[in-house]
Amino acid sequence: MKRILAVSLVVLAAVALAAFAGRTQSASAKPTAGSLVGTGATFPFPLISKWIPAADNALGIKITYSATGSGAGIAQITARTVDFGASDAPLSPDQLAACKGCVVIPWALAGMSVPYNLPGVSKRVILNGPVLANIFLGNITNWNAAAIRALNPGVNLPDTKITVVYRSDGSGSTYAFTNYLATISPQFKSKVGVNTSVNFPTGTGARGSAGVAGVVKSTEGALTYVDAAYSIANKFQFALIKNRAGGNATPGVRGVQAALCDLPAKVTALPQLKIVDPPAKCGKRAYPISTFTYVVVPTSSGDKAADLRKFVYWAVTAGQKFGPPLFFVPLPKSVNGFNYREIKKIQAGS
Amino acid sequence: MTSTAYENPAAPESDLRRRGIRLGDLLFRGIAVAAALAATVLLGWIAFKVFDLAWPAIQDFGLSFVWTDAWDPVTNEFGALIFIYGTVVTSMIALLIATPLSIAIALFLTEIAPRKLAAPIATMVELLAAIPSVVLGLWGIIVFGPWVRDHLEPWIQDTPLGWLPQFSGEPSASGIFTAALVLTIMIIPITSAICRELFIRVPKDLTDGALALGSTRWESIRGVMFAYAAPGIVAAVLLGLGRAFGEAIAVNQTIGNRNAIPSSWFEPGDSLGSKIASEYVGATSLEQASSILYLAAILMVISLATNLVAQFIVVRFERARRAV
Repeated sequence: MKRILAVSLVVLAAVALAAFAGRTQSASAKPTAGSLVGTGATFPFPLISKWIPAADNALGIKITYSATGSGAGIAQITARTVDFGASDAPLSPDQLAACKGCVVIPWALAGMSVPYNLPGVSKRVILNGPVLANIFLGNITNWNAAAIRALNPGVNLPDTKITVVYRSDGSGSTYAFTNYLATISPQFKSKVGVNTSVNFPTGTGARGSAGVAGVVKSTEGALTYVDAAYSIANKFQFALIKNRAGGNATPGVRGVQAALCDLPAKVTALPQLKIVDPPAKCGKRAYPISTFTYVVVPTSSGDKAADLRKFVYWAVTAGQKFGPPLFFVPLPKSVNGFNYREIKKIQAGS
Repeated sequence: MTSTAYENPAAPESDLRRRGIRLGDLLFRGIAVAAALAATVLLGWIAFKVFDLAWPAIQDFGLSFVWTDAWDPVTNEFGALIFIYGTVVTSMIALLIATPLSIAIALFLTEIAPRKLAAPIATMVELLAAIPSVVLGLWGIIVFGPWVRDHLEPWIQDTPLGWLPQFSGEPSASGIFTAALVLTIMIIPITSAICRELFIRVPKDLTDGALALGSTRWESIRGVMFAYAAPGIVAAVLLGLGRAFGEAIAVNQTIGNRNAIPSSWFEPGDSLGSKIASEYVGATSLEQASSILYLAAILMVISLATNLVAQFIVVRFERARRAV
């Protein structure tokens, strides 16, 4: 009896302690002025790693960034445990409301590649949107399917099963890729949808870019999606994607830049930043699968506001020149006005 | 010099020295109580926090979450059945293979192997447990998975077992079966080490007695050693099961991560631990995040229940044995 009493007392104490700790939690992790803490997307991490020493040199602001994933970036900026969050997907209306006065600013741009493992096929395989959608829906299951052969005349495609490999962790790459497939295919849009993690009806998942790359390397006939920089750095064979103009495009800097031709001259809202599947007028070079990635900052940022304004402005202007060597594409001029206006909203606030 | 060495042990100690001992005693007791309390408080706190953070999902989906066969972050439909299935099936396959193997290893080391051979082999088997699970998972992706796909699974399909729907379909490098085999490798060192310890402790008189009565070696192992060590073996097996239930990373790397209950064990699925590891960080909505914590709560309940059952069985066996 005594023992039961003691145990229940201890549990009670634990619960009380937990409730107390929960209340004081949000007051932690705020460093002093002159330094900024951010977290979120892994996709722009190579670029942000270049920015950190450069921003320290140019602005004297010390930046700490941990690549924890877009979801964590949104969650932590909503909880205000960091000074800025980064996300590959623009915030949904619900998320924006939950964030209570946050601005979402596009600060980097890059293409997604479609690497595959087909030993014996030396010529680059050409794919297009409908074929990719059908592969990821499980409708096309073999490399020598008629639809793939039609795109690759003269290539001797083997009778190999296609193994779809996707990201099992929530990822901006998945968002960008499903965004493209849903734009192309109504069936994909209704059956799978667009998100940082979705239910692909076929294939196997792996964690992180390195994870999917590992599975593709060890699986004959595998096909996946990773950012172009990763593919190029690891010398993967990736597919050429046929665009609306009939060109077979590569996800290099010029390919992604060409895909921006249909943006309005002055972007005024985020939904206008649709760059997947560009129209034929963008030319044969335009690469159809690319994505913006965003920084999320609270409009009332207290004594961090001045540093945040300085850093984000620097990132979307001078910081862009660090992009091309990493296969990040400099932001188009058309978003500058939108970005400057949003940056100005970052104030000390109440 | 000599006076200290031959001090009369019966003589009363000096006051100062006694107090010194008492202080040490008190300090020791304080530390011990604090450590025990801290562990209990921590358990309570973690349990509270997991349920607290899962609360939105528990309210939204209720208990039906447990048997809902859906996980779609796009439409915010969440359920745990896919992952409970993955966790239970991978762990059970692992248990089914690992238990006889572990007992066989333990018997070999205690009964059959010459002492010179037993010690290094025992060390090697225990070192298997020292491989970090993430490294084992990596080996699972790169080496073991492809081997399972190219050799082991086609071979199983050629045996009479291949007629079972669980072994049908296309062999695959990552799936329920591959994950189960990796788990098997992870739990063998634990169960075999405990079993070896148990077999060593079986009193020599008992086995000698059985042999003297004319039983063969196998009969003495079966009738005496197993009977004597049975509660311990059950506890060892359940300890291994607990390890298998909770393993996240190695399973995550080898199970294939598909949100579906596969008809064949060769196909990809997902487990509770694996899902938590892969999706919590990237969760984009509150529903998704709290649903993942709901999965964590379920996993915690399953693990605690396994532990309690293990303790219960051990107690029952002890009682039964004493009654004999």
